[in-house]
Amino acid sequence: MSAKLKKSILYWILLLPMIVLVFFPFAVMFITAIKPSDEVLNPTWWPSHAEWHNFVAMWQAANFGPALWNSIYVSVLSTLLALVVSIPAAYALSRFRFRGRTFFRQFLLVTQMLSPIVLVIGLFRLVVWLGLIDNVNSLVFLYGAFNIAFTVWMLQSYFSTIPKELEEAAWMEGASPWKALIKVFLPLALPAMTVTAIFSFINAWNEFVIALTMLRRQESYTLPIQIFSLVSGRYTVEWNNVMAATFVATIPVAVIFAWLQRYLVRGLALGAVK
Amino acid sequence: MNRSAFTNPYVLVLPGFLLAAFIILWPLYQLGVISLSDVNRFGQLKGFAGIVNYSAVFADPDFLGALWRTFVWTIGIVVGTLVVSLPIALILNDDFYGRSVARVVVMLPWAVSLPMTAIIWRWALNGESGMLNSGLRDLGLIHTNIQWLAQASTAFPMQILIGILVTIPFTTTIFLGGLSSIPTDLYEAARLEGANGWQTFREITLPLMRPFLNISIVLNVIYVFNSFPIIWAMTQGGPANSTDILVTYLYKLGFRYGKLGEASALSLMMFALLLVFTGLYVFLAMRGERE
Repeated sequence: MSAKLKKSILYWILLLPMIVLVFFPFAVMFITAIKPSDEVLNPTWWPSHAEWHNFVAMWQAANFGPALWNSIYVSVLSTLLALVVSIPAAYALSRFRFRGRTFFRQFLLVTQMLSPIVLVIGLFRLVVWLGLIDNVNSLVFLYGAFNIAFTVWMLQSYFSTIPKELEEAAWMEGASPWKALIKVFLPLALPAMTVTAIFSFINAWNEFVIALTMLRRQESYTLPIQIFSLVSGRYTVEWNNVMAATFVATIPVAVIFAWLQRYLVRGLALGAVK
Repeated sequence: MNRSAFTNPYVLVLPGFLLAAFIILWPLYQLGVISLSDVNRFGQLKGFAGIVNYSAVFADPDFLGALWRTFVWTIGIVVGTLVVSLPIALILNDDFYGRSVARVVVMLPWAVSLPMTAIIWRWALNGESGMLNSGLRDLGLIHTNIQWLAQASTAFPMQILIGILVTIPFTTTIFLGGLSSIPTDLYEAARLEGANGWQTFREITLPLMRPFLNISIVLNVIYVFNSFPIIWAMTQGGPANSTDILVTYLYKLGFRYGKLGEASALSLMMFALLLVFTGLYVFLAMRGERE
């Protein structure tokens, strides 16, 4: 047996407890989601047969459609809001040396760390003052504003990797700064903007405490709040429906996140180095 | 070159800065005003109250319980994560069969949002029909069902374990970044000098990993201290407030008990504490930048 094979077996054995713990919740979610409703409360692992119909039944029972629409609406618009103000700011940070630049970067680092939970009472009053309680647009505004620190940071770290000489060459050729920006810079910056937008979208998609506070009626619930409302403060919980809803709400986003995760790490790390 | 709006950095930075500052400063100002006022449960201010709200927070036995549990929660998760993540990162940094698969698996808990993870565990830990109990019974490890979430003595440790599980991916990623920045010729040199694995780890890996360890500890302290969904979606701090940490206690104080003055006072104190940790983080991050 080669040394590498021995090492591999040892490593996999060492990782085994972690792997079991990682897959356990996924298994619980998936198996419960396909259990027939009269077997959910049986203390057994495996269902007698896979009840795929749960995924259809859950759509009605969990009021999934409207919540899905609310989540998409909030995530897309808040991402757009954050990007519209972040792209110019990130461009300035990566291209110009100006007085206050260091202060602005420190400000971004600090605000990235401040969680909305300690401000939630003040935010609630802000939303009341704006007359947006129970209105998903309040979330668009709050998520957008809270995401700015993260999006500017990510974008400037990627923008800094695009050589400035390319735009300067365009200026030399007589292009206006605006034209150089559109023709030279933006195409190169597009991948970074896409990745940043996706993470901003996922942040909004997963957010819990602000939505829990600002949304009071079921019609305005986003997915996390809708699914949470199905399990909290109820005597009977239809766990197969809840798990089917959780599965559909989670897996597509989780796959995208797992796929792009390395860009997130690289962006944050680049931001700290550049 | 003409200095149009597109090349004036202040014009470019201003909208983002104003919005990001407003969303923090306006609520902060409100919290300050409320915390110093006599306020009813509907949020109407009834005049200046001095520091009454602040002293009321400290007089509440539930606050002291939550404070202590926040300490246990934060230290437990941060230290637990550190102890598990470092060996995982060392393994994943080494070359072995199936490494890319192992990396994806270790990162998976990060991909699912915390409230959803917590709801799945809430069901998995169900006393009568939860799949953890049935799994443990099938394996012969327990003979009677454990009511995991019915008392703090089992619920809180479980929540800490789940907290560790979901913090591992992020921490491991930081460590992997650190490990890959260590030049491999250092290890070559150590091997030629006849150093064993443990010596190499202590004399080369650990010192060079120090900045990454520091950053991960500070960031995790901030994240874990603020973490609300795991406890809220599993037990809502119950039974009888016995799994409350400061953030869940704060939420109840403000939105369930209607003690807005006390809740605002507590918010500001927590904000100040966070600012200290964040200052430490900025210091560490910017120091890394200068080097």
